[in-house]
Amino acid sequence: MLPFRLEKRGVPSAGLIWGVSLAAVAVAMLLTGVLFAFFGVPPIEAFRTIVERTILDARGLSEVVRRAIPLMLAGVGLTLAFRANFWNIGAEGQLLIGATAASGIALFSGLPAGAMLPTMLLAAFLAGAAWGLLPALLKTRLGVNEIITTLMMNYVAIYIVRWLINGPWKGPSLGGFSYTERFAPEAVLPTIGTTRLHWPTLLLAIALALFVAWLLARTRFGFEARMMGESPEAARYAGVNFFKTTLTLILVSAGAAGLAGFGEVAGIHQRLVDPGSLSLGYGYTAIIVALLARKNPVAALVTALLLGWVAASGDVMKISLGLPSQITGVTSGLVLLSIIGSEPFLRYRLVRREPARTPSEAI
Amino acid sequence: MRRLFIALLFLASLPFASAQDDPLKVAFIYVSPAGDYGFSYAHELARQKVDAHFGDAIETVFVEAVPEPDVEPTIDQLVADGADVILGTSFGYGDGILAAAPRYPDVIFGWGTGYQRAPNVFTYMADLYQPYYLNGMIAAGLSETGQLGYVAAFPISEVKRHINAFTLGAREVNPDATVDVRWLFNWFDPAGTKEATEAMIAEGVDVIAFTEDTPTAIQTAAEYDVPSFSHYASMVEFSPETVASGHLVNWEVIYIDFLQKVLDGTYTSDNLSDVDYFWLLEDDAVELGSEPGVKIADAFVEPLQNTMVDHPELGSISVYDLVMDRHDKMVAGRDVYDPFLGPVVDRNGNEVYEAGYLPTIGDLTSLEWAAPGVVGAWDNEPQ
Amino acid sequence: MDDQVWITLARALAFSTPLLWAALGEIIVERSGVVNLGVEGMMILGAIAGFAVAQTTGDPWVGLLAAMAAGGAAALLHAVFAVLLRSDPYVSGLALTIFGLGLSGLIGRAWVGRPLQNAMEPISLPGLASLPVVGEIVFGRQHILTWGGLLAALILWVLLHHTRLGLIVRTVGENPAAADAAGLPVLRIRILTVVFGGVMAGVAGGFLSLAYRPSWGQGMTNGLGWIALALAIFALWDPLRAVFAALLFGAFFTLAYSLQSQFPPQLLTMMPYLFTILALTFTAVRKGRGAFGAPEALGRPYARGER
Repeated sequence: MLPFRLEKRGVPSAGLIWGVSLAAVAVAMLLTGVLFAFFGVPPIEAFRTIVERTILDARGLSEVVRRAIPLMLAGVGLTLAFRANFWNIGAEGQLLIGATAASGIALFSGLPAGAMLPTMLLAAFLAGAAWGLLPALLKTRLGVNEIITTLMMNYVAIYIVRWLINGPWKGPSLGGFSYTERFAPEAVLPTIGTTRLHWPTLLLAIALALFVAWLLARTRFGFEARMMGESPEAARYAGVNFFKTTLTLILVSAGAAGLAGFGEVAGIHQRLVDPGSLSLGYGYTAIIVALLARKNPVAALVTALLLGWVAASGDVMKISLGLPSQITGVTSGLVLLSIIGSEPFLRYRLVRREPARTPSEAI
Repeated sequence: MRRLFIALLFLASLPFASAQDDPLKVAFIYVSPAGDYGFSYAHELARQKVDAHFGDAIETVFVEAVPEPDVEPTIDQLVADGADVILGTSFGYGDGILAAAPRYPDVIFGWGTGYQRAPNVFTYMADLYQPYYLNGMIAAGLSETGQLGYVAAFPISEVKRHINAFTLGAREVNPDATVDVRWLFNWFDPAGTKEATEAMIAEGVDVIAFTEDTPTAIQTAAEYDVPSFSHYASMVEFSPETVASGHLVNWEVIYIDFLQKVLDGTYTSDNLSDVDYFWLLEDDAVELGSEPGVKIADAFVEPLQNTMVDHPELGSISVYDLVMDRHDKMVAGRDVYDPFLGPVVDRNGNEVYEAGYLPTIGDLTSLEWAAPGVVGAWDNEPQ
Repeated sequence: MDDQVWITLARALAFSTPLLWAALGEIIVERSGVVNLGVEGMMILGAIAGFAVAQTTGDPWVGLLAAMAAGGAAALLHAVFAVLLRSDPYVSGLALTIFGLGLSGLIGRAWVGRPLQNAMEPISLPGLASLPVVGEIVFGRQHILTWGGLLAALILWVLLHHTRLGLIVRTVGENPAAADAAGLPVLRIRILTVVFGGVMAGVAGGFLSLAYRPSWGQGMTNGLGWIALALAIFALWDPLRAVFAALLFGAFFTLAYSLQSQFPPQLLTMMPYLFTILALTFTAVRKGRGAFGAPEALGRPYARGER
């Protein structure tokens, strides 16, 4: 039996959140620094280079934000679902299907320039939402665990994309390589200068975050969704329509991930590519974004930037610091583990165990 | 060593530090980890030879495991680090290289296995179809059943060309030989390769060739004592007794030729629009061998010398001598001997190249047909 | 053609071995109410630890022990975060996968591109291997761990459904508050099951690098850990059903290579996931809402007095 136990705190103060979060980042940097030193790279120098290349350099910064965009869109959507206790692990699949729908419109619709991008956006949103709808229906109608179905739907999406780019949608001009043809210019999002920062999607992400925050804080739907998450019994007692509310929230949540897929194909790849290249696991990282943001949609914009920065830093490590490529996985893992390791400090305090407790005390 | 490297980097970034005899800084971008067997490993071996060849005149760096869509920011970082020449080794890097090249008009770019050029972008390829042809001959010479197997990555022209060459080679030795093809739709797929190999061996295939980035096919075939071929680099270590021969690539031959011309001033960042390497046996860019310098592994020499075939042109000849004859002629040049010299018909009976026609590089890089003897699915096949 | 059926069965057995071991582990973990999405990470740490130790000692069985230890140690990390500290189990599992893939690659740099000197050899099951037709194909050359996986499934099924220990684990997963009230050390049991799951994932990884493909390659698990997660669910958290589920998954995978001229292989490989969704739906429709055996408290960290 440990001499301490965890005791639940009330709502943590802003100062505590900041303090604990900064401490977690500090711990992660310390561990990463040790790793740098182990590979013969002076840690201070290394961090300086990383900051210079990712934050102080305009192009480097554009890459941080560019990586954050899909994380913002999908992550904001997930905050809504998680608030209502709908464990959508399927953002990856919703993103891929959104990208697929957008690509289908771009390649085969022949729409005029003005209508092309809006239609792609709408198609991506609807496709993502539809991909979330099935698990939502299964959960509300049959009580099937959504964690499982959304996870499975990711794989179905992956193989659908693989099948399309290896089969019916394969670009005939590419000598058999598994990509679709390149989109026409009217199906490509504008970027800032020569960077790859497709700014319309960034604005969309910010607008979506504000919209979801408004939904949650100011609307009856948001109130019901939160009640479903915080106290399902009370929600049921109060007559919340679980079915309608769940369907509405998955529409927004999965649709947002679909939009992230739209941004990736219309802003970056300009064609439908292999799922492994298309998303680099954004849908899974978005789960981390949403949870680190403590399910707050506006905070998710910030945590998306943080994780975008971690990813961009990995590039600097292997390119400019000459560290082995595998180190990026290790450092990302360290950052995540120290952040989630710090999370309990927000919810619990350590209390010295009083000697006269019942013997069945946990742990 | 790394410390030194960092110090050098730091010095290089200081203004005025760049004296006239600065080495040419050449950066290689790999799609997978450099240490693993396969495509990136072959380029990494070449980089080391480039380093040794040029000494102080050239400084090389590499970045490994760069996903295709991330090549553009990688190029940005490399240019910021002072790279003069950037060599992207993967087909999928094309979009990124061609997007970044206009931004850095003074930097020279290479697109390995690519097809589109620019004033500062050249393309290069060391193609293995000739060694694959010889491997096919060896395979047919060793096979009891006449059923050969080929585990293939993607149905792209390059792989189709290699399967066809392998099959045509097999058929020169045994006109009834068949080549069973299984597609992975993946460059890296050890589990898929294992299962595809097992499936074919269970169906009677008794020699295995492959295009995949690991030695899995060799290890799996070895469990059944089935001969196989080194792919890109020597894989003899994975099964010393069963690797009969192979197709090895010497990327450094192309790299050294190109970089020498950059040092000479022949190639600059505005005259590369027509520079396209498609190098073969005659250029020494590829090689027949289970390992460098060993064309056919010792244990297989005798069986091949003892296997006689009735050749329509050369009469009664051992498979070994026939392989060496074809090898030496291809080393002499494509115009002396080429497996794709017409007449060539595909497996549906269509004439692909008429008698006497020597297909151009363009014909070969856009090849879609399947050779007679190929068994299995074939994407986008002309009917 | 008859042979084809047996060949498919034989390959399905071999391919499903790592899936089965990892899935059995995850079944026990989830039965106790914890989700561990880190299977891929634990598996690959097992693969590199197994390979490195087997290469150094020359004994693949010592390697297997190392693989089990590595998987267990990685799982302990998840147990500390997700069970003890009650951090988010999904993030913790995902982090474990990312971390495991990176760390194994980093450690593996020293071992990459070299074959294992002493690999586990396939064995012939005495008696059964001499059956006509089936014998040699199915029983002739499988690995000990393939048969071991089937045995493990049987043992775990008995333990889970017919012993007090199994009852304890299930109670902790169904109703931790009641278990706690009955005096069971809920957290300690969950920590133990999580570590057990890691050990099993370690065996799966060890099988890959010591027997299935005796060498080390970065990322060599190539998503098998995620398939194992799907498998645990498809089997509806039952060890014996997991055997059949694993065989079905394995069969689809091998058929993707023998049927590819008739059917797009991507769609065949997709089937297991689609089947998992269908299986859940079907069971729910047949037995009524939610009654498909998911542990009631799955994925919810337990702390007394909280929900």
